Amino acid sequence: MPPYTALIILLALTVLGYWLGRRRPAAFGRKYHSLPGYYGSYVAIWCVFPALALYCLWQLVEPGFIRSQVLATLPAELLELPEAELGLIYNDIRNLVEGNIVSGAPGEEIIAAASRYTALQRMSNLGIALAVLVAGLASSGWALRRVKPTLRARNKVERTLRMLLMAASTVAIFTTIGIFLSVLFEAIQFFQLVSPLEFLFGLSWSPQTAIRPDQVGSSGAFGAVPLFTGTLLISGLALLVAVPVGLLSAIYLSEYANARIRAIAKPMLEVLAGIPTVVYGYFAALTVGPLLRQFGEAFGLGVSSESALGAGLVMGIMIIPFVSSLSDDVINAVPQDLRDGSLALGATQSETIRQVLIPAALPGIVGGILLAASRAIGETMIVVMAAGLAANLTANPLEAVTTVTVQMVTLLIGDQEFDSAKTLAAFALGLLLFVTTLALNVVALRVVRRYREQYE
Amino acid sequence: MAILSAWALALAATLTLLLMPAAQAQATRDYISIVGSSTVYPFSTVAAERFGRGTDFPTPKIESTGSGGGLKLFCSGVGIQHPDITNSSRRIKQSEIDSCAKNGVNGIVEVKIGYDGIVLANAKGAHRYQLTRQQVFLALARDIPDSDGAGLIPNPHKTWSDIAPNLPAIPIEVLGPPPTSGTRDAFVELVMDAGCQSFPLIENLAGNARDAACYTLREDGAFIEAGENDNLIVQKLEANPTALGIFGYSFLDQNQDKVQGSPIDGIEPNFDSIADGSYPVSRPLFSYVKSMHMDEIPGMAEFLAELTSEAAWGDFGYLSDRGLIPLPESERQAVLSAIKERAHVNLAP
Amino acid sequence: MNRQRPGPPEPVASSPAARAEFGRRLARRNRQESRFRLAGLCAVLAGLAFLAFFFLTLIGNAYTAFAQTHILLDVELSAAAIDPEGTRNRQTLGRADYQGLIRNALRQQFPAVTRRGDLRQLFALVSPGAGFDLRKQVLANPGLIGQKQRFWLAADDDVDMLIKGHMNRSAPESQRRINDRQLAWIEQLEAAGRIERQFNHRFFISGDSRDPEMSGIRSAVAGSFYMLLVTLALSFPLGVATAIYLEEFAPKNRWTDLVEVNINNLAAVPSIVFGLLGLALFINLFGLPRSVPLVGGLVLTLMTLPVVIIAARAALTSVPPSIREAALGVGASKMQAIFHHVMPLALPGMLTGTIIGMARALGESAPLLMIGMVAFIVDVPESPLDPSAALPVQIYLWADSPERAFVERTSAAILVLLAFLLVMNAGAILLRKRYEKHG
Repeated sequence: MPPYTALIILLALTVLGYWLGRRRPAAFGRKYHSLPGYYGSYVAIWCVFPALALYCLWQLVEPGFIRSQVLATLPAELLELPEAELGLIYNDIRNLVEGNIVSGAPGEEIIAAASRYTALQRMSNLGIALAVLVAGLASSGWALRRVKPTLRARNKVERTLRMLLMAASTVAIFTTIGIFLSVLFEAIQFFQLVSPLEFLFGLSWSPQTAIRPDQVGSSGAFGAVPLFTGTLLISGLALLVAVPVGLLSAIYLSEYANARIRAIAKPMLEVLAGIPTVVYGYFAALTVGPLLRQFGEAFGLGVSSESALGAGLVMGIMIIPFVSSLSDDVINAVPQDLRDGSLALGATQSETIRQVLIPAALPGIVGGILLAASRAIGETMIVVMAAGLAANLTANPLEAVTTVTVQMVTLLIGDQEFDSAKTLAAFALGLLLFVTTLALNVVALRVVRRYREQYE
Repeated sequence: MAILSAWALALAATLTLLLMPAAQAQATRDYISIVGSSTVYPFSTVAAERFGRGTDFPTPKIESTGSGGGLKLFCSGVGIQHPDITNSSRRIKQSEIDSCAKNGVNGIVEVKIGYDGIVLANAKGAHRYQLTRQQVFLALARDIPDSDGAGLIPNPHKTWSDIAPNLPAIPIEVLGPPPTSGTRDAFVELVMDAGCQSFPLIENLAGNARDAACYTLREDGAFIEAGENDNLIVQKLEANPTALGIFGYSFLDQNQDKVQGSPIDGIEPNFDSIADGSYPVSRPLFSYVKSMHMDEIPGMAEFLAELTSEAAWGDFGYLSDRGLIPLPESERQAVLSAIKERAHVNLAP
Repeated sequence: MNRQRPGPPEPVASSPAARAEFGRRLARRNRQESRFRLAGLCAVLAGLAFLAFFFLTLIGNAYTAFAQTHILLDVELSAAAIDPEGTRNRQTLGRADYQGLIRNALRQQFPAVTRRGDLRQLFALVSPGAGFDLRKQVLANPGLIGQKQRFWLAADDDVDMLIKGHMNRSAPESQRRINDRQLAWIEQLEAAGRIERQFNHRFFISGDSRDPEMSGIRSAVAGSFYMLLVTLALSFPLGVATAIYLEEFAPKNRWTDLVEVNINNLAAVPSIVFGLLGLALFINLFGLPRSVPLVGGLVLTLMTLPVVIIAARAALTSVPPSIREAALGVGASKMQAIFHHVMPLALPGMLTGTIIGMARALGESAPLLMIGMVAFIVDVPESPLDPSAALPVQIYLWADSPERAFVERTSAAILVLLAFLLVMNAGAILLRKRYEKHG
């Protein structure tokens, strides 16, 4: 009997409960509180939840129970092994049970344990199926008995539903808490090694620490300022490309282009956002980078082959759709009255757009730009490939810079010891990045709310 | 209809959530789990693939996590949720052996699988550099001794000809791995350190300052940290003929029509010079195996046999086709007997 | 701001000078108008031009990967070598040395080659994986044993590169991976019509391999598929439920403000941070295995959820209030109004948002680096609990491989990924169109 039998039984019981609950009010004549379906749902909910809780509980307890039972059959000398090695033997037993390939020829006692495991597993599956059956029957029977004309089934069902909806909305909160906690501990460890002040305001980033205890590298500087200026420089360049192109495209598509061109061009522009960033990275490093370099040489400028400009330009192309699509939507949402009014006063179309539509749509446009900016700040692959890893503190777009995310990746997948300040620095950077984007968003939301114009 | 499908999805969501504890409980492992260095990855994967195809065992899963990350995972414990083997482009450290022991990982068998050369190369058709390690040091160190040997000054060299008159008047531009990479460590240790030794000024510094002077690479744009993607470095070199790149020999081997290796101290980097040790910049590659897992994870012994078979790591084995430099016969025998006896790694020389 | 607006229209015809002035101004404004319009058009065209350039470059790099060079050999499937006891036992058949049979066939083809070193070079012409292909064919059809059969066998990646023209035949010997002797053999084979480029079906049906000619995207596609399945099953219901709660039920207070800020923030959090979360939560805390699509799917769910929520909320707000009011007016409860009347109208919009979120999840690689998905996986995963790679990760791994032949395969894999993304986007567009008509 497969382990999911219990779930199938539960499903069948639920359907049965619904059907019985639904039929029930018919016996009351014409006067009852809710529609029959609600009585059905009421019974079904009562059927599902207790039995499901039982099932989950069993799922938690069962592995430990079977394990202890199976291991008890092993000879004493095996049981004296440390817990971890016992775990390996247990894995062997389970591999045998599941018909997977096992290491070497299994011993007598392993085979015995495996057959014991199979027996226990069968028993357990049977047990939980029966338990679910009984629990489901009992609770739905109880619910069925409570179905009376005065039972406010709809209210009860709706309350349950509402609680489920609310529970779903907490996932987002837990995600944030989870992110915060998962980077916090390592970040705290890091700040015990490197002072937070040095990290936040230090002007030099060079995470080279000793690679062996008997060897001393340079001291390692962990000042995050060059990383943040690098991030801002590249994001700024990207926005310099994306905002004019994106905004003008949005305006053209929403105000000038006919429906057919719009229907083709808009989704095609959106494809730009869907191209994986690894691909953009290659493009930036191998096509744009050398091109800029040659171009710079022609004008006597020293362009680094991994300039911030190359990465910024390509990243700008990537985020065009964030600006264009969202701006397009908000410009479309501006009521037609405003357009008509402006045109009736004699303004040309471009004047209407610049002086009426854009101001009206501005909060939404700003929202789109902020979304694009946050994508740019968090972007990793393009910068890894095109802008390199040199942490220069510069505002010159022709030089190589590095960004926070790039450093996180290189620090985490580097060939270094894992508990060193180097690796922990990645978590500190993650925390800082997270807090920065959070602050940016809170501010953005405030601004958008304050200046939002309502056209109801 | 739409609502029905929405509820069907909700049901699927519940089931997925229910699957999670079940998944954790049911997780058995019948495959070998390998983690570790991205430098060893191309070799380890070939052996794993042959092993998977040629036997009834599943193909091992190999993650590229970097040597440090791999050892951290490897040392986190014994049991199926922890990897069985980790690859490393440097030798394990005592601190790592200790951390392993703390988590109950006591027996670690060291398998040295071969050597890897680190090359300096540039685009084919461009000037072919003949360098010494001292010249590389003078080109790439952040601080170098000034001309009268009185003290350290920030590296003033802009072009190669500033270093030696026989070198071309081309701006110094070297693409290399970041500090987190094992390749960088090896490069610094094998090239910069050796280049340093010819300067009494630096040699006479106290340990700390001496190493700092030797190992710090310049940050004024002449040395460019180009990420750990060696392929990308090769392609960048092709696009930029004046630059040199630092990467593993296997990439030079595969791209001989695109890039040329620069002789170091007069020795050209090729298969033979690395194998006989005359090419100065090469380092050993390792696999570390948990001896406690050897009997319990299916296929461990067979996989090790494949990896250390003559067909794989021998002088004409398939690993050498991929650019791994084989160990000398005597070292191979030593490793084989270490595997057989499950001799635990011992860092004492 | 009002300063720039054209003045009131009364003085139009008052004097010739004013009229001329007006005419000039009108002309200037019209010029401005057309310039503005042109700028808009240019912006759209610039975006599209980049897209076209990008795709052309990519296709130019990728198309050769869809063909693979094969060598025709007469392989003697001698019973003595494959099945000495004549039992036709599958295990015995599986264990035979098929690569050895291919070597014999090569020897017969070139009987003049006898020295050991030369033979090695000769044997290197055929892929080291060709034996496994032969094995598969024999296992599928044991009747072949004892016959001499003609087989098209995959050539080694270096030969493949040479035939495809990625290697210069006239370059000096030291600069190519095929030496002069091998080149002569290849030319002999070509002259005999024994070398042919055939459709590369392996690219679609096999898993990863370190031999480029044997590698395929199937295991990566399967991994991505399972991951998206988990993501879809979780993010759509959770996202829609959250959106309904926040939009329709939640009281407007500080708590809901917090939730809202939080969701907007999560949409902006760099994807790599989600990888850190996945590592800490699912692998270290819950003890789920590394590199499995279930964990990848969970991480991508958390990443996509904000996108789905935001889209679903937008879809809910865009349903006209009259629908809700009419339902409430005839006595429906709020819940009934939403689920029976608002939801069906908002669903296409919600699905559009979900598809776009899924498309983003499909192309994402940074968080997967953190949870062990950057792995070498040959066997095709059969469930969300088997270790697997994902398509973008496969691209990342191939891009980093030293073998030249992986370059074109990387481009081809990118092309396949983009094809999936385009199909998903097209689906979203079709939905949106239908929605726009109904709305």
